[in-house]
Amino acid sequence: MTTTNPGLSRRRFLALSGAAAGGALAVGCSPASSTNTPAAAGSSSGSAAKGTVTVMSQSGEFGPKEAKAASQALGITVKTVEYDLTKLTAMLASGNPPDVVRGMGALETPYLVARQVAENLDPYFAKSTLIKADDIDPVNDVWRYDGQKQGAGPRYGFAKDYSQDCTIWYNGGLFDAAGVTRPSPTAPMLLDELLEDGKKLTKRQGAKVSVYGLNPNGLGLFSQFAWLTDLAGGKLSADDLASVDFSSPEAQRALNWYLDYAKAGIGPTVLNPDPNGWDGPTFQAGRMASTLSGYWLGGLFSGDPKSAKVAGFAPAPQFDTSRRISPCFGGTGLWIPRASKNKDAAFAVLEWFMAGDPAKARATGGWGIPPLKSLQKLMPQKLPYQKQAYETQMAEKQYFSVMSFTPYVRQDAINTVITRELPKAIKGTTTAGQLADTLNSQINAQLADGKKRLR
Amino acid sequence: MSSALTEVRRTAAPAAVERPARGKKPPTLRKARTFYLFVAPWIIGFVALTVFPLGYAFWLSLTDSDGLSPKTHFVGFDNYIEIFHDPLTISSLAKTGVFTLVTVPLGILAGLLLAVILNQPIKARGLFRALIYLPAVVPPVGAALTFRLIFDRDAGAANGILSSLGLDPITWLVDPNARYVLYGLVMWGCGGSMIISLAGLQDIPRELQEAAQVDGASYWQSFTRITIPLLSPVILFQIITGVIGSLQSFAPLLLSSGSLSGAGTVPQGNYMYMIHVFAQYFSASRFGYASAMLWMLFAVILLVTLVIIKVSAKTVFYTVEPEGKK
Repeated sequence: MTTTNPGLSRRRFLALSGAAAGGALAVGCSPASSTNTPAAAGSSSGSAAKGTVTVMSQSGEFGPKEAKAASQALGITVKTVEYDLTKLTAMLASGNPPDVVRGMGALETPYLVARQVAENLDPYFAKSTLIKADDIDPVNDVWRYDGQKQGAGPRYGFAKDYSQDCTIWYNGGLFDAAGVTRPSPTAPMLLDELLEDGKKLTKRQGAKVSVYGLNPNGLGLFSQFAWLTDLAGGKLSADDLASVDFSSPEAQRALNWYLDYAKAGIGPTVLNPDPNGWDGPTFQAGRMASTLSGYWLGGLFSGDPKSAKVAGFAPAPQFDTSRRISPCFGGTGLWIPRASKNKDAAFAVLEWFMAGDPAKARATGGWGIPPLKSLQKLMPQKLPYQKQAYETQMAEKQYFSVMSFTPYVRQDAINTVITRELPKAIKGTTTAGQLADTLNSQINAQLADGKKRLR
Repeated sequence: MSSALTEVRRTAAPAAVERPARGKKPPTLRKARTFYLFVAPWIIGFVALTVFPLGYAFWLSLTDSDGLSPKTHFVGFDNYIEIFHDPLTISSLAKTGVFTLVTVPLGILAGLLLAVILNQPIKARGLFRALIYLPAVVPPVGAALTFRLIFDRDAGAANGILSSLGLDPITWLVDPNARYVLYGLVMWGCGGSMIISLAGLQDIPRELQEAAQVDGASYWQSFTRITIPLLSPVILFQIITGVIGSLQSFAPLLLSSGSLSGAGTVPQGNYMYMIHVFAQYFSASRFGYASAMLWMLFAVILLVTLVIIKVSAKTVFYTVEPEGKK
């Protein structure tokens, strides 16, 4: 970028020099020179980022308001496109992708990297002025993949915030009313106890469940089964991530636990979905006693005094195997496509969003744990429930570890198979063993097909 | 009449073929240019939005594209062959066939019945016509979401009525009840069919009915021997458009399910062909296979339409001879 083209005419050279000087002046005068603004922006040449950056995200996360703030802070033009997989695919296929894209690091990183669409951001992080290596929370390792294993190798993205998704939010009022002891803020519950408590907490009006005792569905059944199997002491996915085994004793324990839950009818399942579609409104209506939702759900209660009064936060449960794992299945953040035409500026936007003023604002909201250790002290602790959740969450961090997900198929595809086959087992027309065989056969066929396509 | 027109054209022809003045384009060229200018927007739109996507989808159908990876391989007709061996594709196509066989005749019959009733000289006829037609103009997405609210397990009106009668609520939006909700949703739009049949009924000359009455024909005889045959082109039109629409059903199936989390949560009873296509595209990222499925659906629709037209040749009565037939 800074080399001089010998073929450059004098007129062209003067024009470019003028533009460069004007640009430098504009950047110097812009708020980009204020605090929390990337200086080098990871540019290999060291020049300031410029040009236009298109961010594909959800309007509630990085919308026009954030784009305007980014433009003002960085002195570059930032545009937004609403996140849409179809649109992303079309933009990638046309060779004109967005420069920054929303993604769920935990579930998507191996898939994106194996398809060579995500840029290795290590060189950019190495030069970052806002994100220091020792300040990065280990959860950001979900955005790393070395071609064999998730959690190692280059970074391909960065979380905007995260949760350990199997931690529990509970409604203390419902526990008290049912005469059930509230979960401990420090000691994890056993999954079997959680199930029994869920049965006691469930309220019915005829055939209708008016209060759900428990919702352990998390962000998708495959990741939940992978976690439960891990807790039982096994592994659902093979080391090469090219096959699954639902028939192992540990996986069978996981499946049976879930089937016990589903057959008890104490919470949402594929056969009996929560009409609200997610736990927030149900919890706020006093109709959800406990849910494995992760820290982020607490953000909802700060503006809802009724829920704030009764909400409590507890560690992720475990089996009686002494294994304690508290995973993150989201790590939602941003990545940069390899085909982006303006990666320096794209990283400047990513860096500003993850470590600049927007990150501080997010940290105080309680909608997730900041991805930088230095920002975690800003997490809300004003209300009693916030203070309790903060303390429990900080203690829970040590049980985080990265779970590797397959690069061969999307989690959606695996979850589609599970939700298709699960109802028969819940109804009792197939056993857990038969369900395992069906899942093994169908999911392994998907994985084999995905692997073949990556050859 | 026809020969008189020909005569007029013949006499007028020499005047039209005047030699153009110097520098002026001949009228035929001007006419052609005007024609092409007028049709250009359609042609451009057709090429850009139909021909190109169709061609691109066909190319994709010959590959194992996942929509993201630059590593795409040419697989020939493997995807088409797989369609015949994929039990999910076959079962989803079968469900779509049953859905079409049930909803198309029911929709047409309901529309025809309403049209016959509202063609009678009854009070507030216009109001009834408007009220029955109204659901047909509600966008399918809006209608599906409204049905979701009505049949919501906890807060829906349907379960509210059951509760007030002392009955247990029903989980409408999952198997096996979801298919009944879907059929109800489709029938909800039968006002569209009613309007078309009404227009056809009003086009039937009253003299024919009166002559039949004079000859002693009963209402039923008059309806089956005069009304239905004269309405048959309208019915054929509804059958063809109904079959095409039903085979392509998508949004109502996706939106009327209990959860809006994508194709994976659509109840198995409503897991029809287009839902499977959607799942293959956006859950499984099998763009090549999904594109082949779409081309296969195109072939099926074409075949079914041709069969219907062929079968209808002997059963549809045209008051005007179709063009090209003498």
